[in-house]
Amino acid sequence: MIELKNLSVTLGAAAAVRDASLSIQAGDRLGVVGESGCGKSMLALSMMGMVPDALAVSGQITLNGTAMPPRDETAWRPHRARSMAMIFQEPMAALNPLRRIGDTVMEPMRVHLGLSREDAIKRTLDLFAETGIRDPELRLRQYPHQLSGGQRQRVLIALALACDPALLIADEPTTALDANVSLRITDLLVRLSRQRNMALVLISHDLGAVARATKDILVMYGGDIVERGPTAAVLAHPAHPYTKGLLGARPRIEQAAGKRRHLPTIPGSVPGLFDLPKGCRFSGRCSVEMPHCARSKPENVNTEQGQAACHQLKEGHNGG
Amino acid sequence: MRRENLPQMHGAVRMGYFIFRRLVGFVLTLLAVSVVVFLAMNVLPGDPALNILGIESSEDARAALREQLGLDEPAVFRYFQWIFNAVQGDFGVSYSYGVPVSELIVERIPMTLSLAFSGMVLTTVVALVMGITAASHHKKTGDWVVMLLSQLGVAIPAFWLSMLLVLLFAVKLRWLPPGGFAGWDDPLAAMRSLVLPTVSLALVQSAVLARVTRSSALEVIRHDFVRTARASGFSRQRVLWRHVLPNALIPIVTIVGLQFAALVSGTIVIENVFYLPGLGRLIFQSISNRDLFTVQALVMMFAVIVVSANFLVDIAYVLIDPRLKARTE
Amino acid sequence: MNTRYLPANLVIGAILVVLTLGVALLSVFWTPYDYTQLDIVHKFQGPSAAHWLGTDQLGRDLLSQLMAGAGNSMAVAVTAVVLGGSIGTALGLLASAYGGWVEDIVMRLSDLSFAFPALLFAIMLAAAFGPSLPNVVVAIAFINVPIFARVARASANQIWTREYVFAARAAGLGKFAISRDHILPNIAAPIIVQATIEFALAILIEAALSYLGLGAQPPSPSWGRMLSEAQTLMYLAPQLAIYPGLSIVVAVLGFGLLGDGLRDVTDPRLSRER
Repeated sequence: MIELKNLSVTLGAAAAVRDASLSIQAGDRLGVVGESGCGKSMLALSMMGMVPDALAVSGQITLNGTAMPPRDETAWRPHRARSMAMIFQEPMAALNPLRRIGDTVMEPMRVHLGLSREDAIKRTLDLFAETGIRDPELRLRQYPHQLSGGQRQRVLIALALACDPALLIADEPTTALDANVSLRITDLLVRLSRQRNMALVLISHDLGAVARATKDILVMYGGDIVERGPTAAVLAHPAHPYTKGLLGARPRIEQAAGKRRHLPTIPGSVPGLFDLPKGCRFSGRCSVEMPHCARSKPENVNTEQGQAACHQLKEGHNGG
Repeated sequence: MRRENLPQMHGAVRMGYFIFRRLVGFVLTLLAVSVVVFLAMNVLPGDPALNILGIESSEDARAALREQLGLDEPAVFRYFQWIFNAVQGDFGVSYSYGVPVSELIVERIPMTLSLAFSGMVLTTVVALVMGITAASHHKKTGDWVVMLLSQLGVAIPAFWLSMLLVLLFAVKLRWLPPGGFAGWDDPLAAMRSLVLPTVSLALVQSAVLARVTRSSALEVIRHDFVRTARASGFSRQRVLWRHVLPNALIPIVTIVGLQFAALVSGTIVIENVFYLPGLGRLIFQSISNRDLFTVQALVMMFAVIVVSANFLVDIAYVLIDPRLKARTE
Repeated sequence: MNTRYLPANLVIGAILVVLTLGVALLSVFWTPYDYTQLDIVHKFQGPSAAHWLGTDQLGRDLLSQLMAGAGNSMAVAVTAVVLGGSIGTALGLLASAYGGWVEDIVMRLSDLSFAFPALLFAIMLAAAFGPSLPNVVVAIAFINVPIFARVARASANQIWTREYVFAARAAGLGKFAISRDHILPNIAAPIIVQATIEFALAILIEAALSYLGLGAQPPSPSWGRMLSEAQTLMYLAPQLAIYPGLSIVVAVLGFGLLGDGLRDVTDPRLSRER
């Protein structure tokens, strides 16, 4: 449905996303994990054609078989809300504070689908029911500041579903929410994806949520996709040192799933965009680093679980 | 339904209380303004009769006028008399025209208000288009052009712009009358004579407002909900005018309120440039006629218009932003 | 904002301001002709070697009048802004230092004066005392008082929370001494920025009032009054309406740009360029 090939998002010499390739089909549920600043959000925005003007985009984006120029608003606009939709991290900030909830959710239907006000209200109430919004009639007339955080995020989901998108991209949808509210939102996303056969990209640094919700996983670090594969398998047997670091000393992710887990700390912190090493982005923080890691970019290596990009694996692979 | 109505009722009561408090403040401000006007024009200059009749007048004539105008009474008494009568619409009789001042005001006020309102409408339209255009082309050519124009517009005196417009459209091209007013009987002619005054008033003010609109819109454009709107596939124009602009309105409305004051006092100048029979022209004729009490009534009138505009802006905030409505105690 | 590069508005503004102030200063000592000197034979002349900008309806040299007008305009603006600015700043410092009812009174009074646009105030004074340039100065100074009071109070309130102010208070310094020695020097930047911008507005107001006949009286030279005389001759000599207007624009633009530029440099937070 949507395919990225060798996608890079760069700011001068610095790359927020480097050589990323991925493909999403109907019904896929893909998790993207990594620490903040690793390029997850840029990857998501590039799938909406919404990378900020200051950054350069290269590589190919193919949407339903059509090549998309990464920054051509007129090419992308007809697909937004209809082919793919996106929900954001801060539900309060993501909603127009001066508009009634109903008007906000109805707007895409009326603009894109040409629905009458009556039909749009009916459809909105259906969406409210589907996304578990209480007191739907009342909500129509309320403003964002009158809702709780969880209800706001449900409103954003309803808004994203307004024109039946084939793909829903959720960028840290639960980060700003309480633990048990965030759990319910995650489950809602999974349910919607199943019921509608809608692809879901869940971007999060909450491994528990990703483990619970997704079939496949991408692990990103410093703009690179360092490991990918089926979620359960990758989390059970991580191949890349960074993924291992993320999982830390507690590998039994299944057991932890459902409880909110904070990432265990990896020594050091993510370097700034301009300070990233040229080769493997993780060099400098890696516990099994080799001398040439910082200089040459590791290639993807097939692993038991999927793929990972690490010189150690390459050497090991060749050797064995 | 009942559950829905209840909080709205509370909201209405809160709103009413808020408006009531602002109304009290509004009346108090007007009273204070009237004291200042009265002091400045009636007490500070010493003898108003001397002012009206001039330095060459005889003491007898001045004494007679003082008695005629009731100036022998104490100042405090005269103040209350003035206010008491003014509230009932009685501003006394014009010394130079020999008719009640209120009649003069009623006759002239349509000109001033229509000039101010049409000027305000044109100002707002031009400024919003310029400001939003600049913001949406931030740091590109469109932005620089708008900023340059507005920088220049702020520096041009409205009366000089009027003269240049008259030179071009009335003297050279002969499309529009250079001044004067044909009366309301012929609406087309009336509108033709108001075109240049309105444009002169509005262009300078819109330069100010365009800059405010631009920076306010730039502030709003960075918010997440604008990204949500873009992600919903709305056109650039729709995002700008339906999502960004309403959220950028609070500072814009504040400036519009202040600008209405500037526009109203601007009409004084413009009416004199174009010889339009409004309050501004009347105030000048009254100054040259030494018609002190007519000037006093007119100054008060202008101050009332200015203070009312600010009062309405205060109320408008609440109507624009539902969050403020919730906060009105 | 990178302070190594001076912003363009600051540079252009400074050039225009220096030009205007230079001409104004020069006019005090020297103008090509006496601006009051009539020469009916040579009226309405175009630009020539003798009269660079030509002559007006009475044969007076236009350039000399413009230069003298600059002097007049600057004198009015300086006096009015310095007067209004000092009183306003003092009131703002007072309000900030003492708070409570002192602050309330100062702020209510400054609210009140917003009801009077400068023009209206000048009209009131002209009606009561007769039109004159000093009235214009008083009117412009008056409307500047609340503006500066607000800026000074807001800036001073921030400084009062600084540690060196606490230290000074601990050392037993009184509120007046602290205001003078610690607060005032530290709020100088916003005050100067405001003064520059108000200066530009003062030039505009003086021009408008003189145009209306409420300011400079003949034969005192003034850009505004030159324009009102030119208006009656618009069909005969439109060129007379051009130069005084351009002079006003140059002066106002200069101070406006300079003020914006100074603000960009001293306080990037308030900068309009984001």
